[in-house]
Amino acid sequence: MNRSITKPITIACLVAVAVCFAESVTFAEDVGDRWGTEEREREYYPIVNLPIPKDLVIEAGAFAQLPDGRMAVGTRHGDIYLISGIDAAKPNPKYQLFASGLDEIFGLLWVGDGFRVTQSCELTYVRDTNGDGKADRFETISDAWGYENYHEYAFGSELDAKGNQYIALGLSASYYSNALNRGFIMKVSPDGKSTAFASGLRSPGGIGLDEHGALFYVESQGPWNCSCSLKAVPFQSFHGHPASFNWYEFNSELGPTPLAPEPGTLIADEKKRIKQLVPYAVIFPYIRMGRSVTDFAVDKTGGKFGPFEGQMFLGDYTLSIVMRATTEEVNGVWQGACYPFREGLSTGILDVEFSPEGNLICGGTNRGWPVRGIKPFALERIQWSGKMPFEIKRITIEPDGFLVTFTKPVEKGTGEAAGSYTISAFTHPYRGAYGGPEIAQHACEVKSVELVDDGLSARVHVDKLEEGFVYSFDLAKLRSRDKEELLHRDAYYTVNEIPAAQ
Amino acid sequence: MRLSLRFDLFSRRASILGVVGRLVCLVLSYLITHQAAAQAPDPSLFGKHPLNQAQAGDLLRSELRCTACHGGSAPEMLPPKTAPSLEDVGARITPGYLQRFLESPHAVQPGTTMPDMLASRPTERKEIAEGLTHFLIEQSKNDFTSQPFAKQEIDKGRMLFHSVGCVACHGPQEQLEAGPTRDPRYADEDDDEYFQRDRFQPPAISLGHVPEKYSARSLSEFLFQPLHVRSSGRMPDMKLTRDEAQAIAQYLTRESQQTKAAIVPDKSLAAKGKQYFQELNCVACHAMEGMSPANPVLSLDQADLTRGCLSKASSNSPQFHLNEAQQAAVAVSLKERKVADTDQVVLAKTMTAFNCIACHKRDDFGGVHQNYDPYFHSSEKNLGDDGRIPPPLTGVGGKLQPIWLRKVLFDGESVRPYMETRMPQYGKQNLAFLPDLLARLDSPEKIEQDGSKLVEEINSDREREKQYRAAGRELLGDKGLSCVTCHNFNGKAAPVNKGLDIITTTQRLQYDWFNHYLRNPGAYRPRTVMPSAWPNGVAAHKTILNGDTDAQIQAIWYFLSLGRSAPDPSGIRQEKTMITADDQAKTYRGRSRVAGFRGIAVGFPEKINYAFNAQTGTLSAIWQGDFINVNWGGQGAGDFHPAARAIQLDQDVSFMRLADDNMPWPRMPTTSKETPVNPDPLYPKNLGYQFRGYYMDDASIPTLMYRSGSVKIEDRSYAVEVEDRPQLKRTLKFDSPQPQTLWFRALSGDVQIESEKKFRTNDLALTISAGKPIIRPIAEQRGKTELLLPIKLPQGESTLELIYEPINH
Repeated sequence: MNRSITKPITIACLVAVAVCFAESVTFAEDVGDRWGTEEREREYYPIVNLPIPKDLVIEAGAFAQLPDGRMAVGTRHGDIYLISGIDAAKPNPKYQLFASGLDEIFGLLWVGDGFRVTQSCELTYVRDTNGDGKADRFETISDAWGYENYHEYAFGSELDAKGNQYIALGLSASYYSNALNRGFIMKVSPDGKSTAFASGLRSPGGIGLDEHGALFYVESQGPWNCSCSLKAVPFQSFHGHPASFNWYEFNSELGPTPLAPEPGTLIADEKKRIKQLVPYAVIFPYIRMGRSVTDFAVDKTGGKFGPFEGQMFLGDYTLSIVMRATTEEVNGVWQGACYPFREGLSTGILDVEFSPEGNLICGGTNRGWPVRGIKPFALERIQWSGKMPFEIKRITIEPDGFLVTFTKPVEKGTGEAAGSYTISAFTHPYRGAYGGPEIAQHACEVKSVELVDDGLSARVHVDKLEEGFVYSFDLAKLRSRDKEELLHRDAYYTVNEIPAAQ
Repeated sequence: MRLSLRFDLFSRRASILGVVGRLVCLVLSYLITHQAAAQAPDPSLFGKHPLNQAQAGDLLRSELRCTACHGGSAPEMLPPKTAPSLEDVGARITPGYLQRFLESPHAVQPGTTMPDMLASRPTERKEIAEGLTHFLIEQSKNDFTSQPFAKQEIDKGRMLFHSVGCVACHGPQEQLEAGPTRDPRYADEDDDEYFQRDRFQPPAISLGHVPEKYSARSLSEFLFQPLHVRSSGRMPDMKLTRDEAQAIAQYLTRESQQTKAAIVPDKSLAAKGKQYFQELNCVACHAMEGMSPANPVLSLDQADLTRGCLSKASSNSPQFHLNEAQQAAVAVSLKERKVADTDQVVLAKTMTAFNCIACHKRDDFGGVHQNYDPYFHSSEKNLGDDGRIPPPLTGVGGKLQPIWLRKVLFDGESVRPYMETRMPQYGKQNLAFLPDLLARLDSPEKIEQDGSKLVEEINSDREREKQYRAAGRELLGDKGLSCVTCHNFNGKAAPVNKGLDIITTTQRLQYDWFNHYLRNPGAYRPRTVMPSAWPNGVAAHKTILNGDTDAQIQAIWYFLSLGRSAPDPSGIRQEKTMITADDQAKTYRGRSRVAGFRGIAVGFPEKINYAFNAQTGTLSAIWQGDFINVNWGGQGAGDFHPAARAIQLDQDVSFMRLADDNMPWPRMPTTSKETPVNPDPLYPKNLGYQFRGYYMDDASIPTLMYRSGSVKIEDRSYAVEVEDRPQLKRTLKFDSPQPQTLWFRALSGDVQIESEKKFRTNDLALTISAGKPIIRPIAEQRGKTELLLPIKLPQGESTLELIYEPINH
């Protein structure tokens, strides 16, 4: 496998020139290397194309499960289709146009007897009140934000336990905050009241709840973000990009405006100075783990999708891949790991969602930005073949290292050898320039490993752990008891906090 | 040679595995003696296959599954041809047919690979068949139904059958009007290829039994997912949708004569049938729960071929009804000492068993038979054979990226939407070995240049990267080699012939193959319409990259490797997406110059349209003619543009409470490049305005809902024609909790009074149903006036009617 990384070329040029009504010119670029695992992934997680009738354009922006077992897709063209037969062995889905004429749908949720649709202009309750199968009532739930630039996308979450919905608002032209509340996450409570909830967003790709019910959103690489990341969102939190400070004066519920971040610092240091700054929970090292991570879905399929119950599955637009992530709360701060999962999708993935039968539906488009997949738009289904892949299942932190769990027992020889666990670490500078390097790279010495008897997990004791660093695992030397190599040898754990020894 | 294309029950039984009728044998033996240089197909199999007699015999033994019953060494087995699943056979096959078939399979379906198991028990045939039938029906989960489909689609089925590829194996079912045929220019006698081809019988696995065997419903189910029943993929999945499968099933069963009644299985008959099933060792081929096959009988290594299955004289063996050529081939196969098959032979056997050769040519065998050529169609006629005949497979293992080959074989991927014949799906379990086999056979030992390394190399050299990117783009465009004239590019249609989207190139092809192909496409496809831009290796285009052939081809590869981010080469038309409102009203949300970011466009079939700025609650534009164009190109997020010149109205908030009539109307905040931040971000919510959505009536006409302070407003406009001129009638419904005065800024510009109720600007007339409007100058706009209407609202509901008439100059 070729592990060289193509030099990152920023996509700043793509968006910097965007002004109100004019779109930027798209420049060509190489999108980066592959993991090289596609052929092996096929055995475990085949991708099935979901045919789209010739005359339909379905650039999926959001999916929702319906109570009747169908799925719905909201599109960039502003249509909502209800799809039946999405799980059939040989899919021949039927598409029923439910609504059209909406404005870029990046959030779709069935609640009560209608959809809560997050479109660029507002959050709308869309219903069919006369039962003819087509929406006829479009009620504004919230439009508590400015919308003055085409790049000001809005992403909607699912409802939390109290019935609140969260809307992540991207910046103006992805750089500035020229219109009200751009760069905020808004909370829309069950009574329809909208309040500001968090600040500091740049260009979100998705928002939702993780396996623990905690709110996370996905941020894209760019200014103040050297890589894409998953960020945990407590109330009044600040997420790194200061452009949205403009609107604190209009939203007293958000508390005092945070101190301005100092460029050229480290998040691990700045978070001590800026009390609202929340360190990025899971960093997706740029290009190795996506270039524009989009939305995620949590596997609640009860094992139908394989051994990753509870984990997040995230799409990536540029690389047409799906990745996994896990989260844990340490000392009150969220952090976790990301893992390669599946490459070789046909288009840029904008959203993923589990189907009633526990398959992962993926969709999107490759219009406008560089994308590896060759189809202008596509709907695809990743399904578990039933064959157990040998994978790193989950990495969690320990006071002096990590607990690595596996999907299949690891054989003793390689599993107990410290040399099988190659760990290195890096951090990112915290700065306003577009993207940024991996700095302070160093090897992390593995002092010892305890392989648990069942072979399904290993305690890895390391020399030193540091806050603010991403620990890259390369476990290529491990073998399962049936002598298999790992399907994916890499994983990346972001350390924000280190638990105290018991 | 002239062969009748007319469907005839007995003339053309050339099943790969079964009986070849006497007539066909005669034709074949005649033809074989007239074979020229091309590979002489062994007459025991049909088609222009590459197998010699012993290999053909191997294949017959493998496909007939001799070793299901016999011991002894087996020929190298392809993925076995399994017998159909009997799991739900009672629901699939007409009971009457099932019994007749079991009684005498070869009489009912000549050419079947099912042996006659009852040859040794001639007097019990009927009784055994009846028992088996009852048993098979009893053990099925579902019942047989012949209930017809609601929609009759025989014509569609006929069309599909004769275009998607069924003909390649089954032959045409009736003579259709001639489709495209080979260009007669190529039919002259100097064309060796033409002269030598097709001197053999094309395959035509008979479907004569189908109308009686299935109901349209059960056949449709089978055709939709044939691998469910026949998992070994010899009848492949033609990627039919359910509707298509229904249509073909209706077509194929259209002449069914018999009534197809379900039967209730008789318990005692079924019990007997179960015994027969075991006794006859049916389970050797047909899996049946709770039964296991008998021990193998006589080893084939020492078999006496004058007796047993191959001998017509035998009275106690299953009978396969093989013809002489087939028997001879099997005999030679059994006699020859076996050496392991080479990759070449395994591939030849595979392509014959799965009948890839019916559509694809590889080296000097296979290809579409001339008799079937008219059934290969394309929606892009100008692409010639490239557009309608499946691509040759010569060297395909060196042509396609391994992963792409897998996607084509197992995931149903295809890049030729214009080709009506489909690449069938044979099931991954059956052909899993094929990609590696092809790679071993076709990949050169040494790769001259690795495509991804080339891209990396170019990427790492900034100057070269820039130069190649520009050159590749120029070469593809209409100022260069005009590739985009006949190839779609990046999802955008080519202006002339819509050939396959070349942006897929680097994901599908290997660089070495691409390089050689570009230099001489004709060497790969003799009649291709693809021109050569580097004849004899010399670049036709001299200025780009100094006419360096290597550099030009590398530049094209590099440019295409950019994938979807590659900018359009010159010569590609950007198509606008027009949305029309021809049948009923249409509502479309999106940003627009005429309606702001929270714009709503509403169009009517009467060809008058309006735009509403939902940010400010204002009807902001009216236009006649077509509805809107929408920008879904590039990053375009669906912004709309009126499809005709629009009458632009002010977009400031329309309703509010004015302290007195001297108070200036609050205008929308403006931003500029220098001061981009909205200076009044709460406008017009701070004036009491809130948009609340809209609802549609039965004619899809929207009623917009909003609020101004405590007043709820419903705003509905519809189109009327008065003296052939469209007008917009607008009704505003107010609901106020108490009596109050709400001000409405109805019109602005150079407002003139036409009458007490009618006002006009240069291009619009407005009639107001009630009230006493005032016209006053707009403070900051010299010479401009605004029409303000104080609306005295009672408590509860009230309405105001407005008529907007565009003034045509």
